[in-house]
Amino acid sequence: MNNLTVHPLIALLLFPGGLFLLGGGLLYEWIDRKLVARFQNRLGPRWFQPLADLVKLLAKEEITPQGVNRALFFILPVIALASALTSALYVPIAGFVPASSFRGDLIVTLYLLSVLTLCLGLAGANTMNRFALIGATRTLTQLFSYEAPFLLALLGPAIVTKSWQIMTINYYAQQHTWMAITQPIGFVVALVGLMGKLELPPFDAPEAETEIVAGAMTEYSGRGLALFHLGKNVELFIGLTMVAAFYLGGLANPLEFLAKTLGLLVVLTVLQSLFARLRIDQTVGLWWRAGALLALVQLVVVFLLR
Amino acid sequence: METQRKFIVPIGPQHPALKEPGHFQFTVDGEIVTDASVRLGYVHRGIEKGAENRNWTQNLYLFERICGICSHVHATALAIGVERLAGVQAPPRAQAIRILMAELERIHSHLLWLGVAAHEGGFDTLFMYSWRDREIVMDLLESLSGNRVNYSVNLIGGVKFDVEDKHRDAILRGLDTLEERTRHYLNVVTTDRTFLARTRGVGTMSRNQAELFGTVGPTARASGVARDVRVDAPYEAYTLFPVNLVTDEGGDLMARFVVRTKELFESYRLIREILDHLPSGELTVRVPRKIPAGETVSRVEAPRGELFYFIKSNGGEKPERIKVRTPSLCNWASVMQVAVGHKLADMPMILSGIDPCFSCNDRMVLINRGSSSQVWSWDELRRYGIEYYKKL
Repeated sequence: MNNLTVHPLIALLLFPGGLFLLGGGLLYEWIDRKLVARFQNRLGPRWFQPLADLVKLLAKEEITPQGVNRALFFILPVIALASALTSALYVPIAGFVPASSFRGDLIVTLYLLSVLTLCLGLAGANTMNRFALIGATRTLTQLFSYEAPFLLALLGPAIVTKSWQIMTINYYAQQHTWMAITQPIGFVVALVGLMGKLELPPFDAPEAETEIVAGAMTEYSGRGLALFHLGKNVELFIGLTMVAAFYLGGLANPLEFLAKTLGLLVVLTVLQSLFARLRIDQTVGLWWRAGALLALVQLVVVFLLR
Repeated sequence: METQRKFIVPIGPQHPALKEPGHFQFTVDGEIVTDASVRLGYVHRGIEKGAENRNWTQNLYLFERICGICSHVHATALAIGVERLAGVQAPPRAQAIRILMAELERIHSHLLWLGVAAHEGGFDTLFMYSWRDREIVMDLLESLSGNRVNYSVNLIGGVKFDVEDKHRDAILRGLDTLEERTRHYLNVVTTDRTFLARTRGVGTMSRNQAELFGTVGPTARASGVARDVRVDAPYEAYTLFPVNLVTDEGGDLMARFVVRTKELFESYRLIREILDHLPSGELTVRVPRKIPAGETVSRVEAPRGELFYFIKSNGGEKPERIKVRTPSLCNWASVMQVAVGHKLADMPMILSGIDPCFSCNDRMVLINRGSSSQVWSWDELRRYGIEYYKKL
């Protein structure tokens, strides 16, 4: 484990929070889009396209539709992005020691990561739009289906480590065999759970454009939409970091971080382009019938062999 | 929310699932669709009326523009009908070229549909690949006719261009690639687990239902109804080059995928056969400018099913009346019936399952509120028009 620590203010504004996280999120979004495009025989966007999209959206007029709670409509994207950014303080971004750490921060981080989805659901339910309402229902339904297996999948490494502190788990992972090998089921569930969390295909029923336009985000434009997108990018970045830190032998330095998270991202893009979209009932069925059970089995095995 | 109140999800006229405007209302209970209705007519263009002001040759161009995907069959249907009225027949080589183009067009249409349907199911990879391969046939169509759509192949009494050896070689080479790719797609649509989860047992229409709703084309054939104008009443060179009917008993979306993909193989086979046995001879015959009075019905098999033309001539340069019934119009009823009881998420795929073409089937609907009479005299119609616009 390295001993690099950073000043709290820098940690908040520049690294690992703030600018670095936003930049990283945008970069990973680009890699994701580009790779999926290449797999689908398309050209894909140029490297600055996510940033350009963001700037464009921020520059646009934000339309507040009739019949919404204005305060909620305004604040939800902010909370979503803020919680995603906050969660970065507890994870070993770029292989550095987390900016902040305490016993049990794993649970806090997981909840912070779920806030984004919750905000999305609320944002959809806040509007009168029928597509947004259905999108919100689906978002929350999906939240309830993948959240438990995802949590269970991340608990496996925590139980082996006997700690609920991300930093300790990361440290433990560096010292031992990759947990992707010792706990393969947990790894798969965590990775696929991350896809569910980010509503990536084939789990994109909550924003299936051919059915419900943009789902919960249908009424959002300009700033709100930009912040939600940004929040998702940040969450992708952090989610990858966590799965890599837990299951791929920890993150000791920036190089290792890049290699492992990008490797995971490639796997995610392949999975994204392989499948047709699952219906929401199929998603729920898959998670509760297969995902949760598998994660439980993994947990039991971990308990028994500990 | 009140449970009594209906929750209606509107799809269209502007919606990402729709490539052309149409309006669908799905009453949902949670995710389950309990009622479905359709409203068409957003792209009504008045082509049938416009036909009465154009001469026969001009109409050939007008009717080719009814549909952007199956443009050639429209012109063919008109040309066949008018030739029959005029008592002439296109030369054998022209007839063969007509059906050659029709089959190439079918390939392009089916591949296009495969992509769109996959996209509706969220399977964008299949969408992109099938459209990439569709470019092969688009290039072939362009090399033959000079155009990617609206090929303008037909004249009344023949075709405009010949198929030469270089075209022949290019087509055969393109078909080889396409056949290999199509085999892959057939494999995908019949074995991919996530895709099957969206298509198998979804939108099932029994043979009886298919007969009852009067479905046509691949939609009917996927329910086991052996109905294909190319087989039932062969026209043009289809008498020389018989078509093998492709049917499937499944009746669900998967069957529609399978039937259309297998029809692609049939088209490949047919095109090869036509190219091998292309009759020699002239490309056109002379047709009088004035078509003798009379009426006729012309039926052809469009990629989406039976295309029906009623043509009436009064002996002049212009038609008295041309009535077109496109296949999509016959298939709508089945969609609205089959939709009930399915999930909202299945709607885009069930809609696209019939390969709908909106602009070809939009018609004027007269809602007669005043008298009960169905027939309006010219004076009544004129008065109605004047009053209607006064109100605006």
